[in-house]
Amino acid sequence: MNAAVIVKLEPDFSEGNVSYNADGTLNRAETKSILGPHSAIACAAAFYAKVKYGARIAITTMGPPVADMALQQAQLISDADELHLYSDRIFAGADTLATAEVLRNGISKVEGGAVDVVFSGHRASDGETGQTGPQTAWKLGFTFLGNVVDYDIDIEMRTVRARRMISLQGFYDIIEEVEAPLPVFIAVDPSYKASFRTISQRLAFEKYRKEANLRAQNFKQHLKVFNAQQLGVDPKFVGLPGSPTIVYKVERIPKAKASRKTEVVDGSNREELRKVAAKMYEILGGMVIK
Amino acid sequence: MSEKYEHLYVVIEHEDGKPIPVSLEMLGEARRLMEGFNNKYSSNENVVAVVLGHNVRKMCEELIFFGADAVIYADSPELQHTRNLVDTKVISRIAESRELAGKFSDAAEFVKPRYMFFAADSIGRHLSSTVLAELESGLASDINKLVIEDLEIKHEHKTKGQSMKYEKTLEMYRPDFSGFLWTTILCLDNRNPAIAREYYPQACSIIPGVFAQIARDTSRRGTIIDYQPTFDEHDLKVRILERKIVKSAVDFDSHKGIVSFGRGIKDSPEQNIKLVAELAEQLEAEVGISLPISKKPFAVSESTSSEYMIPDRVVGTSGRKVAPLLYVAMGISGAMQHIAGMKEAGFVVAINPDENAPIKDESDIFIKGRMEDVIPLLLDELRSQKPAIKVKK
Repeated sequence: MNAAVIVKLEPDFSEGNVSYNADGTLNRAETKSILGPHSAIACAAAFYAKVKYGARIAITTMGPPVADMALQQAQLISDADELHLYSDRIFAGADTLATAEVLRNGISKVEGGAVDVVFSGHRASDGETGQTGPQTAWKLGFTFLGNVVDYDIDIEMRTVRARRMISLQGFYDIIEEVEAPLPVFIAVDPSYKASFRTISQRLAFEKYRKEANLRAQNFKQHLKVFNAQQLGVDPKFVGLPGSPTIVYKVERIPKAKASRKTEVVDGSNREELRKVAAKMYEILGGMVIK
Repeated sequence: MSEKYEHLYVVIEHEDGKPIPVSLEMLGEARRLMEGFNNKYSSNENVVAVVLGHNVRKMCEELIFFGADAVIYADSPELQHTRNLVDTKVISRIAESRELAGKFSDAAEFVKPRYMFFAADSIGRHLSSTVLAELESGLASDINKLVIEDLEIKHEHKTKGQSMKYEKTLEMYRPDFSGFLWTTILCLDNRNPAIAREYYPQACSIIPGVFAQIARDTSRRGTIIDYQPTFDEHDLKVRILERKIVKSAVDFDSHKGIVSFGRGIKDSPEQNIKLVAELAEQLEAEVGISLPISKKPFAVSESTSSEYMIPDRVVGTSGRKVAPLLYVAMGISGAMQHIAGMKEAGFVVAINPDENAPIKDESDIFIKGRMEDVIPLLLDELRSQKPAIKVKK
């Protein structure tokens, strides 16, 4: 069984690492980069396939040379056998369709094209489109399963069974169980958690985790870097030329007009807070204050 | 006269034969945009609703009452529940069908829709991605403002640095992750003869709850078109085994109050969240969060993180729009995207040390102070004024 994971190097939004400008926007220069949190969950889902089915894992990413840092962090989580970095100046400025074109070509080269399942995160924390995964799946011709909260694979039947969480905002949520023939592309839901129940799984878990530690220390031994030519992509379909969309402008969202008359209260003044408390009960209605 | 790229196609989502709210919101915005468009360009392009499902015929009329000029529906037991692979092919075939477009317009030249809308929810987000990969055109996600304009564009690649005019371009505005910036995405038609692609439709996914529906008008008339889909045998091997409706653990609608927190918890996250939870309990309120919190920027215990720092709790354009009687915003600066989610609240109390925070103008009472200092005092007062009658849910 062969698995591939698509990951992304993203700004680290955790406190202490993230830096915001005075106007509330992200200060990219001062903010560190890490393996994106959703990418990390995708790696955990791939690790499950390693522990349970002995899958070989390749982690892939498109990015500048420094993105190998994301691959190393991903290897530590997944005990990946191979790390693939797709890096070329002509990939720069790609929208999701042009990014998917690079990733499709890359994944077609993993294990000689014999990949059974591809994992990606829910969405990137910076771009936040969630489009690159499904578009890569479509280009690969793999069945796309999004919002997957857990999955199992029937190796003999070559099928996957997955549970998906479909959230219809403000409506309700649906848990769906779906079966699909391999190969599939799984976008992992943020709530995904692997569980290893049997003793043999726990032993395998420990063994691969140790191996992952060793491998990640020498991750460059497992790293392969591909440029556009080595990937065999058509330059017309990647980077800026391959992107139907452009960012036309970025502007500050205008402040909404003040809609309320604001009373300012000193937060250390007990007397005033007493009135606020009374007001809160009054607003919540139907309450008699004794 | 027919053009190659015409009309605005809206992909409708529904449950149990009823369109979900975002579907009607998309139709409302489509109606407004295309009326402006037809006036400005003296044309007669249509809002076309696309519906996939089983026993959906009776919904089609409703879609016309809510703004569609034409409805193309595909009815089959195989389309009962959405499957990305199957639905992507059916929608793409509908979008590329001159024959179908010919049933409601002169479509002699028709190739693909000019514009296309999807819902930015967990179905439409993925469906829009795969359909646009199939149609090989551009897609912007999570849009909350749309404008159609003739634009002069100067772009390093698209226009080789020259200024060029692009007519009838859809400006797609999306709020970024910070909530402070708006990015406008354009999908520009391809003018590079070396690339055999046409960048139509210009497509986007639309945030639920942003646009207004139009009033249901039963005098509206339109064309309803029955499309008979065919399926690839292999695709039907993707099978839905079970479908269960679950109630979200977070219930904003049946609570009279919502207490929300943001990055202001930062000095002692675990303790502050505990205070917020106590306040929520005292007021019998639900707990909300601002968008940055859902990215789990603070180290807290696993149980706190999985209970509170979750997307389901986000109030704002990236989460839920709420309108409780009482909204308490603690340590929330008030990014536009958060304000949009709570501005309909009856009464707003903010707790924040920074009097310049935008949330101040959105509050009826602004309590100046750090949440760790203010909440314990406020809790004291609330407890000593314990109401005689409990808050009715």
